Amino acid sequence: MNRDVCAEFLRFTGFEESEIPGFLPDFIEACRALNLSEADVRFSVETWIPSQFDTELEGVRRGLGCIVREAVDLTRTPRYKKQGVKLVYGILPAMSVYYYALKRTAPDRVYVAFPDLFLVAFLQMFFHRLNPTLEIAEAAGMSYGCRHCALNKARFTARRLGIIPSPDISWIWGFVCDEGPKTDEFIQECFDSDWRNYSTRLPHDQPLGTQEDEVDERVEYLALQMRDGFEQVQRVVGISVPEEKIAEAFEIRQRFVEKMGELRDLLTVDPPPLGGVEAFILGMPRDMPFNTGLEPMAEALEQTLKDVRGRVAAGRGVLPRQAPVLMYEIIPYCQPWLVKMFMENGVGVMPGGPTQKQLQPPRFEDPYMVAAEAWLKGSVTVNAGYKADQICERLLRYKFDGLLLGFLDFDRWLGSDNRLIARMVEERTGLPVFYVEGDFWEDRDYSPESLRTRVESICEILKMRKAG
Amino acid sequence: MTAKAAKSMEVIQGRVKTFPERVRREKRGGRKIVGMTGRFVPEELVRASGAIPYLLCRGGDPEPVEASLPYMHRFLNPFVRAQLGYYLLGMDPVVPMLDLIVAQCDDCHASRLADLMEYLRLPAFRIGIPPDWQKELSVRYYAKGLARLKGRLEELTGRRVTEAGLRASIESLNRVRTVLQEIGDLRKKENPPIGGLDFLRLNHASFYEEPDLFAAEAASLLEALEEGPGLFAPDAPRVLLAGRVVAVGDYAVPRLIEESGGVIVAEVLDEGVRHCAWKVDEGGDPMDALVETYFLRRLPPSIFQPSWGIRVRHLKESVLGNRVDGIVWYQLAFDEVYDMEYAAVARAMSEMQVPILKVESSYEYARESTGPLATRLESFVESLRAKRRVGP
Repeated sequence: MNRDVCAEFLRFTGFEESEIPGFLPDFIEACRALNLSEADVRFSVETWIPSQFDTELEGVRRGLGCIVREAVDLTRTPRYKKQGVKLVYGILPAMSVYYYALKRTAPDRVYVAFPDLFLVAFLQMFFHRLNPTLEIAEAAGMSYGCRHCALNKARFTARRLGIIPSPDISWIWGFVCDEGPKTDEFIQECFDSDWRNYSTRLPHDQPLGTQEDEVDERVEYLALQMRDGFEQVQRVVGISVPEEKIAEAFEIRQRFVEKMGELRDLLTVDPPPLGGVEAFILGMPRDMPFNTGLEPMAEALEQTLKDVRGRVAAGRGVLPRQAPVLMYEIIPYCQPWLVKMFMENGVGVMPGGPTQKQLQPPRFEDPYMVAAEAWLKGSVTVNAGYKADQICERLLRYKFDGLLLGFLDFDRWLGSDNRLIARMVEERTGLPVFYVEGDFWEDRDYSPESLRTRVESICEILKMRKAG
Repeated sequence: MTAKAAKSMEVIQGRVKTFPERVRREKRGGRKIVGMTGRFVPEELVRASGAIPYLLCRGGDPEPVEASLPYMHRFLNPFVRAQLGYYLLGMDPVVPMLDLIVAQCDDCHASRLADLMEYLRLPAFRIGIPPDWQKELSVRYYAKGLARLKGRLEELTGRRVTEAGLRASIESLNRVRTVLQEIGDLRKKENPPIGGLDFLRLNHASFYEEPDLFAAEAASLLEALEEGPGLFAPDAPRVLLAGRVVAVGDYAVPRLIEESGGVIVAEVLDEGVRHCAWKVDEGGDPMDALVETYFLRRLPPSIFQPSWGIRVRHLKESVLGNRVDGIVWYQLAFDEVYDMEYAAVARAMSEMQVPILKVESSYEYARESTGPLATRLESFVESLRAKRRVGP
C-alpha cells in the first residue's frame, strides 16, 4: 500500500498534517482488513471523493474524517476485545444517548458503535466498494432477490470475516424494521453462537396522525423498554451508568440538534451554500453513536457553519439562483451521486432538518422519559400520519418546491409508507411528490445510468413549475 | 374418501361459500361483523361479544396483489398486499360490511396494512404485538391490548363480555380445535385417509362457520375418515409444509405437492390456520387464559425474538413425530424474516438429513409460472420417493 496515496486520502478527509503520520499505520491496516487495495484508495482520492463531495469546505472534509476515524476504529475491535474492553454494538436507527452515556461513564473500558453502518458508509461513500461485502451475506442465506437491507448483510459479513469480534452485547433496536433485530438472531443461529443480543421493540400500532410523543402511555412504555434494554447492557458489561450521564448525553445531543437546525436554516439562502449530502452527513452522530465521540463531528459542524456563512457573505452557492429545491427526509449519503445528479440538472435536494417540536425542551425530567419523548418526536419512526404532518411542516416552513421519496425499498417500514406519504403530503400541501425506487446503501439494481432519465424528467417538471 | 366423508366435506365447504350471504342476513338483523387479521386476535373474544368474526386471509390471486400498488410498494409480501387488493377490486364481499377490523400489528407488513385500512377509512382497530415476547413488559402490553379490544367490542355490540360468556366461547372453540386436531392426526397413519390440501381447506373452513355447527359436522367427517381407506400411494413421500401462511384460496403449492404423488402430513404455518395443538385453558380467568395461549404458549411466529431456536426444535419434533420425508418451505416474496429463517431451518434439516425445498411465491400462478413450480415440486417429491425406496 502506497503511503503517499493513503496520506493524500487522509488529507482529503480533513486530517491535520501533524496527525497523519501517527494515524497512517492504522489506516493502512484498516484497508487491509476491509480488503481495500491501493487502487481503491487511489480511485477514491483521484476520482470518487472529488466528484461526490464538496471538499472545498474544511468543515465538510473534517466531517468526512470523522467517519474515517470511526471506520478505522471499528477494525481495532479485535484488539480492544483482547485488551478487555467491553464491546457494545447496536443498529440504526436508535437513541444514541445511551451509548454516549455509557462511553462518558467509562471511556476506556467500553467500545460502542453500530459496526454495520460504519462499514457500509466507509466502503460505499469513499470507495464505492460495498458489493463484495454484500455478496458474502447473500451466499450465507440473506438472498439477493428478497431485498434484504445492506446494513444487516454488512453486519453479518463483518462478523463472518472476523472484521469484528462477538460483542459483549448487541443491543438491537426494532423501532423501525423487523429485519434488523432478526439479523442478530440470524448471526447467532447460523454463524456465531457467542453473538449475544438483546432486542428492544415498539409495535407500530398507533392510529394515523397520532402525535405519539404526546401520548403519555406510549412515552412511558417506550421509556420502560429503553430502561429495560439499557439496564441489561449495564449488567452484561458490568458498568453502572448514573442517570445524570444519560441526561448529560441528551443535553449534548440536543445542542447538536440545535446546531443542525442552524445549518438547515442557512440552506434556505438563495443560492443554497451547501449540498444536501454534506449537510446530512454532518448530522450523523445524532442517531448513531460514534465511539470516537460526538464532539469531533460537532467541531466539524461548527467549522462548516463558518465556511457556509463565508459562502453566503460572498454570494456563492452550489446551485443557480432560484433553483428549485426538493426536500428529502433521509438523504442517501452512501449514494451521493443521486443528489449530484439532481444538482447537475439545476435542482437541489436538501434534508428537512429538525421540526419545531424537536427543538422544544422536554416535558419530562426522568432521563428515560426524556429520551423516549424525543424519539417519538422523530419523523422516521412514528406513524405515517404524524410523519406526513412533520414533513408538511418543514416543506412549508422552508418553502420547498416538492418532496422526494424513495431509495428505501429494502426497508419494510421506512420504505413501505412512501406511496401513502406521497398521497397525504400532496393532499395537504398541493406540492408535487416524486417517488424514486432505489436503495439507500447500494446501487447494484439502481445505477446512476438507470435513474438518469427519471431524475432529468423530475428536474424538468420542477423547473417548469418554478417558472410558473 | 368414502361417500360419507366426501358428503361431510361438501357440506362444510358449501357453508364457506354461503358465508357472505349469511353475514349479510345477520347484519340486516343487527348483528355486528368484526374482521380480524393475523393470529393474535382471539376469535373467542369477538364471539363472546355477540359479533361474527371474519378472518381476512385470502390469497393466491395475482390481481389483488397488483391492485395494491398505488398504496403499497412492491416489496411488501403478497399476502398483505392481497388483503388490501381484494377490497380495492371489490372482490371481497364481506369487508365492506365490517363494523370493525381488528388489525394485529406484529410486523411491518401487517402494520402497513393497518395504516392503509385507516387511510381508506375502513374501521380499523389496531392491536400491538411486541415481538420481544419473553419480557414481562411485552406480555403486559398484549394483555392491555386485549382489554382495550374487549372494551371496544362491548361498545360496538352493546353487549358485555361476561366471564361466563367468554368461557363458553373458549370451550366452544376448543371443541373445534380438538376435532380438527384429531382429523389432522389421521395423517400420522401410514396411508392417511385425508391429505394436507383437504385438511388445510377444512381448517380454513372452521373460520367461517359457527363453532358448534362446525365441530358437529367435523365430528361426522372424522368418523367417516376413521372408517375410510387411505387415499395415497403406499410409497407416497410424507411432506411437511412450513412457512408464514397458506391463505384461503392459495392452494396451488399444496395441490401440486399432492398431485405429484406426495402427501402433506403436517404443517408448521404461522398464520391462516387454526393452531389446534394449543387449547385455551378453560379454568381460571379467561382473559388471562387468552393471553397465555395466544401470546406465550403457542409456537412463536418467526417474527418473535428469540424464536428460531424454538421453532427449529419444533420442526425437528414434527419431522420425527410425523415420519416426514421432506419439507417444503413455502415462502412469500419479500418476506425477509422467513427468508433468513430458512437458512437456520435448512442447516438443521441438513444435519437430520431431511431434504428441504424452498418455494417462493408472489401469487403469480399463471400457466407460465405454474409450469416451473410444478416441475420443481414433482422432482422434489420424486427424489423423496427414490430416497424412501433406497432407504437413508
